[in-house]
Amino acid sequence: MSQKTIEVEHLSKVYGSITAIEDIHFSVDAGEIIGLLGPNGAGKTTTMRILAGYLPATAGTAKIAGYDVHKQSMEVRRNIGYLPEAPPLYPDMTVKNFLWFVAKIKGIKAQKRRDRVYNAMALCQLLDRQDTIIRKLSKGYRQRVGIAQAIVHEPPVIILDEPTVGLDPRQIIEVRNLIKSLAGDRTIILSTHILPEASMICDRVTIINRGKVVTSNTPNNLQAQLESSSGYEIEVGGNVDRILPLLSKIAGVLRVTVAKSSLNKHPERRLLQISCASNSEPGKEIATAIIQQELDLHEMRRTRPTLEDIFLELTTEEKLFS
Amino acid sequence: MIFSNILAIAQRELQGYFASPLAYIMAAIFWFISGLFFVEILIGEQGIIQQIAISERAGIDIGDIDVAKEFLTSFLAILGSLTVLIVPVLSMSLYAEERKRGTLELLATSPITNWVVALGKLLAVTCLFIFMIFPALIYEAIALGGAEPAMPFAVPILGHLGLVLLAASLLSLGMFVSSLTNSTILAAVLSFGIILLLWIIELIANNLSGWARSGLLHLSPIESYNNFVRGVVSLSDFILFFSYIFLGVFLTSQSIHSLRLNRK
Repeated sequence: MSQKTIEVEHLSKVYGSITAIEDIHFSVDAGEIIGLLGPNGAGKTTTMRILAGYLPATAGTAKIAGYDVHKQSMEVRRNIGYLPEAPPLYPDMTVKNFLWFVAKIKGIKAQKRRDRVYNAMALCQLLDRQDTIIRKLSKGYRQRVGIAQAIVHEPPVIILDEPTVGLDPRQIIEVRNLIKSLAGDRTIILSTHILPEASMICDRVTIINRGKVVTSNTPNNLQAQLESSSGYEIEVGGNVDRILPLLSKIAGVLRVTVAKSSLNKHPERRLLQISCASNSEPGKEIATAIIQQELDLHEMRRTRPTLEDIFLELTTEEKLFS
Repeated sequence: MIFSNILAIAQRELQGYFASPLAYIMAAIFWFISGLFFVEILIGEQGIIQQIAISERAGIDIGDIDVAKEFLTSFLAILGSLTVLIVPVLSMSLYAEERKRGTLELLATSPITNWVVALGKLLAVTCLFIFMIFPALIYEAIALGGAEPAMPFAVPILGHLGLVLLAASLLSLGMFVSSLTNSTILAAVLSFGIILLLWIIELIANNLSGWARSGLLHLSPIESYNNFVRGVVSLSDFILFFSYIFLGVFLTSQSIHSLRLNRK
């Protein structure tokens, strides 16, 4: 038996001629919250559907709580709670009746059902809406009902596909807090295309793009990886053409691009965007070069890439280096 | 365990019917039309009682006639036709709606098999059908209660059992059609086409001869239903109905299974 709650190895899914995911691999420890991060169409939903046993994989294996998702589908289904991208709700049922129904088909025994349904509603703050018909609920509440149906049978593994998509900012915060409060002994895997969300909720982030794992790390390590590579934004006046070759020669400088200054007041000024290699500090040499060439130095600012930048860098490599 | 899951699915399905106006509208139309025929067959201008009275007044000897039996046979034939018309509407949303709402994903990732879901749904929609014919049973009981000599219980019971089995067979096929599409309208039209085909199997068969004729006649659920109504039921009629029910449930569970394989 392995220690990992979720183990995904060499997972691939091909639809006809389209490869949705290719050789996906990651593993999740018990009690961890892991985020699958990627742009739309990266293969997040496919991966989650395979994990939930809804889709069979073309190749590779996925195990949840030690059970193979394909070969031991029924055991896996008992051990997971799954929220698909669109919450699977019956609009004509009340919240309580719906959760009661879900508890039943998830195999919760009659004498425990009342408690489980109550707990799920309490956790998702649905108690005041328990007799409301789902059709009449706001989108935020529906999403909460969707999460409640995923946790009502208290599964050790919870799979949430884009749990905050389509919600307003306030609802997003509520749902994020809810997900965080579910952590503990439960293992949660969620997908998102919003980076700050992943870094806020998750213990670990796996970035996928075009069906492949790009990197997998903790949000802090990703941030550190980012901070080690940084750059400068410099606003200068004068003839910048002379200085560009000089700047490019400085050790640690990777790329220099010129843009128009954003200030309309000074259309003649130019904005230099310099990106630097990891752990290099060429600031002094850059400033010296600008002053020696007698350009006007109006502003020089250190730029630290955000997670968005890493994300873009990791997922759009070919563009950056072409 | 399996049985309680079937019941859970059936119960949810029934709750869904009675939460939407469609079930009530369908029931109202069914009650209205069946009531109309009931009155017409029994006491209308062309009704059985009038016909006999006319014949007697004209001095035509029509021999011994069992009015109650005649009435029941005609009325059950009408109910059979109404059933054929109404089944596609009852079965159209069974799966198409689940597919459209995305709730199929919930059912497919719960620890229940496709068979259980299909059986639960068929059970629920068959119960809805029984609910719809229920008022007709009451009028019949009143009318037949006055029959002299009293009609043996077995006759109407067998007839209505046949009606329910006919409905369940057709609903099972309709359920399969519904599992193929996200569109309830398309499901209704397709099911109606298939049911119509089964309805005219008899006509086709009668234009053939030899084994093709008898083979096709044995496939006709309407023919088996007529046997139930006439009270000449054989084991093969039961087998035919249960084969259709099984076929529908089997195809449904296979179609849901392959839906997951091909899903984009």
